[in-house]
Amino acid sequence: MTGLLSLTGLLPFAADSGEEDKPAIEIGHHVTREFAGMTFNIDTIISTLVAGALVLILGFWATRSLSKDTADHVPTKVQILWEAVVGQVNKQVEDNLGKVHPFVAPLAISLFFFILFANWLELVPTALNEDTHLLPAPTADTNLTYALAAVTMLSVWTYGIRQKGVKGYFKHFAEPFPVLLPLNILEELIKPITLALRLFGNIFAGGIMLALIGMIPLYAMWAPNILWKAFDMIIGVIQAFIFALLTVLYFAMAGAGHEEHETHEEYEDEQRSKKLADQDDNVGHDDAASAEPSPVPAH
Amino acid sequence: MASVAITPMESNFLVPNATFFVELAAFVVLLFLLAKFIIPPINRAMTARQDAIREQFAELDEAKSEASAAEEEFKAQIADARHEAARIREEAREQGAAIIAEMREQAQVEAARIVEHAHTQIEADRKSAAASLRGEVGTLATTLAGRIVGESLDDESRQSRVVDRFLTELEGAS
Repeated sequence: MTGLLSLTGLLPFAADSGEEDKPAIEIGHHVTREFAGMTFNIDTIISTLVAGALVLILGFWATRSLSKDTADHVPTKVQILWEAVVGQVNKQVEDNLGKVHPFVAPLAISLFFFILFANWLELVPTALNEDTHLLPAPTADTNLTYALAAVTMLSVWTYGIRQKGVKGYFKHFAEPFPVLLPLNILEELIKPITLALRLFGNIFAGGIMLALIGMIPLYAMWAPNILWKAFDMIIGVIQAFIFALLTVLYFAMAGAGHEEHETHEEYEDEQRSKKLADQDDNVGHDDAASAEPSPVPAH
Repeated sequence: MASVAITPMESNFLVPNATFFVELAAFVVLLFLLAKFIIPPINRAMTARQDAIREQFAELDEAKSEASAAEEEFKAQIADARHEAARIREEAREQGAAIIAEMREQAQVEAARIVEHAHTQIEADRKSAAASLRGEVGTLATTLAGRIVGESLDDESRQSRVVDRFLTELEGAS
C-alpha cells in the first residue's frame, strides 16, 4: 500500500505520466473478475493454464513416443529432455532422502517444469497494448507462488511428521538447544514465504525490466531487449531449479535426524562428509552446495 | 497515483486473493497428472534402458572372456602342435642318423669280412700253391736235372737235398 505508493512514486516515468491519471507502467495490475464475492486474476489463471498445458503436452509427447518403440530403447529428443530432468531430480532426492521417494521426486519434477514454463511465458511478447497482456508470467503473481510454496511446505511438514512421528517432529524444534525454539519455528514459517517471494520477486522484476525496455524507442530497444531476454531465460531456469532443489532439501531437513538440523551450509557439509565416507559419488551435493546459497541470482 | 490511492488493496501484489485457490488446484491437478501418467513411464523406460545396457555389457564381458579363453586354447594347441612337430622332426633326424650309422657299421663289418675272407683265401691259395709247387717242382726239377745230368737222382735223400738247395737259392735270388 504505502510501500507500493512510494515505489510507483520513485519510478521516474510515473511522474511523467502523472497527468494522464494512470502510471505508464502499472505494478501488480491484473485483469480481475469478481465471482461469488471473490476476486480472481483472470490473466494469471489463463497463463497458468497455458503453462500447465505446455508441460502436459510435452510430457504426453514424451510418454507417447516412449510407448511406441520399446525394443531398441533409443529415446527420442523430448524423452531425453524429460529423462535429464527426471534423472537429475531422482539423483538429488536419492542423495538427500536416501531413496527415490515416490512423492518427493514427482513433486520436484512438476515444480521444476511448471515454474520453468511459467517463467518463460514472460518472454513471449503478448502485451498487445497497455491494458491487454495476454500471457504474463503467472509466477509474477504471488497467488501462484504462494500456492506452490503452500503445496511444498504442507508436503514437507506431513513428510516430517510421518518420518518422525508427531512427538518426534515437534521435539525436533527444541533441538539442539531449547533456547533456539523460537528461531526454529520462525525458520519453518519463513521457508514458505522465502520460497514464494524469491520466485515472485525474480520474475516480477524481470517483467518490470521488460516493461522499462519497452519504453525505449523502437530503434534503440532491440539491443537491451535481446540481452535482457537472454538473461531472463537463464533466470527462469535458475529460479525453477532453485525452487525444486530447495523443496528437496526441505524434505531432507524435515526427515533428517536432529544432529543434522543446522543451517543449510552445515547440513550440506555434514551430508557431504557422510557421503564421502560412504561412497565417492557426491556430485549432486556439489550442485546443491553451489546453488543453495544463491537465493537471489544476480539482479 | 490517484487510482492507486483510491483502490489501494486491489493492486497490492503481496496480498493474495482468491486466485490462490485456483492456482493451488491447478498445480495439484498438474502434479497428479505428472505423477500418475508421465513420470512413472519415463522412470520405467530409464530403468529398462539401464538394465538393457547393463545386460549388454555383461554379455559383452562374457563374450570377451569366452573369446580370450578360446584364443588361449587355440594358442596352447598351436604351441603343442609346434612342439610335437619339433619333437617328430628331432626324432626323425635321430632315427636317420641311427640308420645311417647302423648301415655304415654294417657296411664296414661286411667290408672287413670280405677283406678277411679274401686274405684267408689268398693265404690258403698261396699255401696250396706253395705245397703243390714244392711237390711238383721237386719231381720236375729232378726229372729235368736227371735229364741234364744223366744221373738218376732217384735216391730220395739226395733228391730232397738237391731240391731244398735249389729252393733256398731260388728264394734267396728272389
